[in-house]
Amino acid sequence: MKFLRAGSLVGGGALMFVLGLSSELVAAQFPATRITAEDNVNTRYTVESIELSGDVKPASFSSTLRENIQSIIGERFNPDQLQDLARQIRKELHLKSVTPHLLRGSTSEQVKVVFEATRRSIQFDVSVPKFLYHSKQGWSAQVEASTTVAHNAFTFGIVSDGDELTERFAGIVARYENLHAGSDRVHLGFQFESYHEQWNRATLLAIDRPYAFDSESTVPGIYRTRQNYQPVATFVVSKPLSITVGASFEQMGLQNGGTQSANAMIAGIRYRHAGEPGAASRQDIDAAYSLRAASRGWGSDFSYTRHRLGARYAIARGRQTLSDEVTAGFIAGQAPLFERFVLGTSSLLRGWNRYEIDPLGGNRIVHNSVEYGCRIAEGAGQVFYDAGTLFSRGQSSTVRHSLGIGYRQGVFSVALAFPLREGRVDPILMVGMNY
Amino acid sequence: MHKVASACWLLISLAAPSVVGLNAQSLLVRLDGDNLRITAPQLQFLVGKPLTRLKDGATAGFLGQLTLSTDANRTLQARAIARFVMSYDIWEERFSVTQIETTTRTAARRTISHLSAQAAQNWCLENLTLDLSRVPTDKPFWIRLEVRAEEPRDSAGVIGEPGINLTRLIEIFSRPSGAKSQTWTLESGPLRLADLKRAEPRRAG
Repeated sequence: MKFLRAGSLVGGGALMFVLGLSSELVAAQFPATRITAEDNVNTRYTVESIELSGDVKPASFSSTLRENIQSIIGERFNPDQLQDLARQIRKELHLKSVTPHLLRGSTSEQVKVVFEATRRSIQFDVSVPKFLYHSKQGWSAQVEASTTVAHNAFTFGIVSDGDELTERFAGIVARYENLHAGSDRVHLGFQFESYHEQWNRATLLAIDRPYAFDSESTVPGIYRTRQNYQPVATFVVSKPLSITVGASFEQMGLQNGGTQSANAMIAGIRYRHAGEPGAASRQDIDAAYSLRAASRGWGSDFSYTRHRLGARYAIARGRQTLSDEVTAGFIAGQAPLFERFVLGTSSLLRGWNRYEIDPLGGNRIVHNSVEYGCRIAEGAGQVFYDAGTLFSRGQSSTVRHSLGIGYRQGVFSVALAFPLREGRVDPILMVGMNY
Repeated sequence: MHKVASACWLLISLAAPSVVGLNAQSLLVRLDGDNLRITAPQLQFLVGKPLTRLKDGATAGFLGQLTLSTDANRTLQARAIARFVMSYDIWEERFSVTQIETTTRTAARRTISHLSAQAAQNWCLENLTLDLSRVPTDKPFWIRLEVRAEEPRDSAGVIGEPGINLTRLIEIFSRPSGAKSQTWTLESGPLRLADLKRAEPRRAG
């Protein structure tokens, strides 16, 4: 019964049908109008304490969650922050619901917050962390089931990914993490991955060509299967800073029935700062460096060092956001194909076909992405510009550019990206979540 | 067509268990300057879940719609829509109401606080007016008031950093269907402009 537009309702005397207070009508009357923290009269009070009711013990919280709770105490009451905290508690403890209640504090300037937690009858989550349709690469998706018992988190997932690496890999992931190894600041984990690989025809042709071998290290052959056993320890130095050290024992099944190993020491450091949720102006910083060093001394058939650096800075003011993301990587030595860098994915040099750039990937990468977003209705319209180069030692580097437009709502995105080059321009469509 | 439309309205009324219908006499209409205003002494929309949320320190949003029609609420002649956000002061035990008005680019806000529950509801209705120029002078008309409590977004926990949480999605779809937004509807008519009383002129200062 959409016989009229809301905008015409206050117009002349034309006859119009009576409509109910439909969602469409309200959306038209109040475009992008959100209830803000300032609309709550209790924001003038200070949070005196935060308590939990129900069968939940604060001792089972991670150090990050505890720090987040502590950071709210003594501050002005902010309902958005409280909802965000409730979501974090529910997610971390796999609860059915967490409802915040506000009570009077000990003085007339203060309030107490009580989170009422309700447990699930089944204590595990099933989630879809990523799915993507890419018009050149097809579908990529991941499904995970996870549960937490005391401080122990268990995750099992299935994945088929044609986006991240040179090859498409499909298989299973199982992960265990102890979130309190003597201290909240130390997490111990073990991850097992088992994949079957599928190779693009362009990669198979390129690997047979003699000029594909660079001067420093030959490009190794393809493999049909890959298993990874990866113990890691994470140290939360402070709320935004964490350090990871561990090892990765990768075993590849070759076409001729033989196997190869890529055993590496791994290390990483990450700094992550997120602005206050719901604030009119916020800045987010996410920077990470990772190192993988494989040595024949570890029983590895490969000897290489892989460095990767990524940094993202985003600023949001009102309806607008601007972000810049830099990625740089370098491999010294001979690394298996899954370690090589790729451009032309859903996040790097969007719009380009990866197999046109280099079907074998490269061992040097530099990439930058600038993105501008403006809130439209419940989501944000986006314009992005990517520039990057991918090459191997001894090869010349060519900087490629691409432009794109998209729309993002929450974790969902749709984008159309165009490579900037002479001749025929073939845009790439990407639709999905968390890519 | 006429009968079909009437039947549709009847079905909609019967099929909406969350709609609270009240007696037509409970919606009082009066003239105030260039506006047509309403009062609804029997209407209580600060009840149930919205009130519980308010007492927990959260905000509750309400949408109000006032429509004027010339043929028993079938053909719309004029309409006013307003959005109100309420909160409840934990210490003073009083309500605060913010009316959100949208212009082409921004959202303007008007706030009033230290109100009782009844005064908060009355303030909302006081700010829901129809322009007198839209009221027909030569024929009868009907006035309909609709107030709807906005449901808080329930997607929280379904979509987030780890993607789509299927467990949470199942929980939300497993809820009883009665957990829909509450709506209150009042009607008055047929009315004639000449029969409406004028409001007492307000004293200056």
